[in-house]
Amino acid sequence: MNKGGVDMFTLMKLELKKLKIGWYVNGTIIANILILSVLFVISFIEKLEGNVVFRDYDEVFIIIGAFVRATFIIFAAVLIAKLVIEEFKNKTITVLFTYPINRKKLLGIKLLIIGTLTFITIIISNLFVLGSFIALNPYFQIISDPLSLKMVVQQIISIITFAFAAAGTSLISLYFGMRNYSVPATIISSIVIVALISSHNPVFSIASIVYIPLTLAIIGILIAFLSIRRIEKIDII
Amino acid sequence: MHIIRTHNVTKCFQGKEVVSNVNINVKKGEIYGLLGPNGSGKTTLMKMLTNLIKPTAGEIEIFGQRLTPSSSFAVLGRIGSMIEFPIFYEKFTAKENLELHCEYMGYHNKKAINEVLEMVHLINIVNKPVENFSLGMKQRLGIARAIITRPELLILDEPINGLDPVGIREIRNLFKLLAKEYNITMIISSHILAEMEQMADTVGVINKGKLIEEVSMEAMRERNAEYIELITPDITSACFVLEHRLYLQNFKVVDQKIIRIFDQNVSQKEISKTLILNDIEMESMSKKVTSLEEYFMGLVEKENQNQVVKHE
Repeated sequence: MNKGGVDMFTLMKLELKKLKIGWYVNGTIIANILILSVLFVISFIEKLEGNVVFRDYDEVFIIIGAFVRATFIIFAAVLIAKLVIEEFKNKTITVLFTYPINRKKLLGIKLLIIGTLTFITIIISNLFVLGSFIALNPYFQIISDPLSLKMVVQQIISIITFAFAAAGTSLISLYFGMRNYSVPATIISSIVIVALISSHNPVFSIASIVYIPLTLAIIGILIAFLSIRRIEKIDII
Repeated sequence: MHIIRTHNVTKCFQGKEVVSNVNINVKKGEIYGLLGPNGSGKTTLMKMLTNLIKPTAGEIEIFGQRLTPSSSFAVLGRIGSMIEFPIFYEKFTAKENLELHCEYMGYHNKKAINEVLEMVHLINIVNKPVENFSLGMKQRLGIARAIITRPELLILDEPINGLDPVGIREIRNLFKLLAKEYNITMIISSHILAEMEQMADTVGVINKGKLIEEVSMEAMRERNAEYIELITPDITSACFVLEHRLYLQNFKVVDQKIIRIFDQNVSQKEISKTLILNDIEMESMSKKVTSLEEYFMGLVEKENQNQVVKHE
């Protein structure tokens, strides 16, 4: 009969197989190029009109960070929809939950994949967009200030903190999606969250306050834990 | 030895009892037919057996172990199931779906996939995405998936739904083979009695969430032999003659004018001759057979009229 259980690594591999990760990789590449293009197009037009777009590198950091996080929080909602919500909606969960595997483990792995993927992608994308911007700046002359090593180190720490906060925040959509197993609710809730945390203007910038996404991250992680705890008790109809 | 036993299993949805105090007993190696009309609670009961739905009250025992809502998942590795609809990852091919299933079940036998597809006669289309399949094909693939790991227990909900008559016969023979050759215990639900009659060893009749009767097919057949129906205005004398002249014991007065004689020892000719000799008026006398169909419909109807069903 069945010898041995199914280990975590295999379960993760199977989830990624079902997810067909290709679209996510392609989507990430396209999103990065788009973010970079938008940054340059805006800078270029504003410069032609004689306006100042970015006062200094700090502002560049904030805006690139907000852009990247907004994009991949919405990507995370798509992951939640595909990995969790659609399994319930298409009833494939009735197949998944008849396997000799703890429900908690099955859901936990899905959420772990979503969180980890979002965290890593935000860091990589942030570094890529920022690096490209810095590399291309001499040719376009958008920022004239010099860049110090100290700023770069500080920025990398900030990117990691914000990426963690964003990954946690992205799990909030799980709550809205699971209520009626609705894909639109999952995506729309993520867009609303993004709109709330990404606002930035020279006077007041929500996007630069790390405590807001960190608080939301705690809420997101709490939602994930409660969902995992609840999953054993619910009826799969 | 019993593979499945339930003790007063009950399930309520929003305060409404969908399954009420059901006690079923499935013996090792048998095909247990769960018979009942649509919406009688068969699917809910089967989902409780696979731990997808948690009972509101009562207990379920599978392979002698109590099923608990949170920790009983290991036992699922010994069960193959297809409940409600054959559900697959639609974008994946038949083969990929089976591969996924085997990986999740922890079953690694590369040859099993082709073997099982051959068993359900699904060979040429294994590399097509399941979304292009007809219901009948999905049903076959669902059965293939349920049996691929050679489970000890199969739980199949309406497995012949959507199959053509040839397909039904093939699948029926497959079930019989699995029960006989591999000693797989099966619980199969259906609303089609004739199907159950040809496969099941034991039948559980369920209606409106209640198990009305659980009976072996053998006992069933004996009980439903043919009988002679006698209509007479003089029922008391007729009974006397049957009992004391013909020495019959197995007959039953079903109406003010109708007697049913189940005894097979005396011929119809003999009975009518004796009754006439004893000067008993007869309006008619005919040979009849209750089919299982009638029997079960009778059970269901009686239950619907909220009458107590009793049988000798």
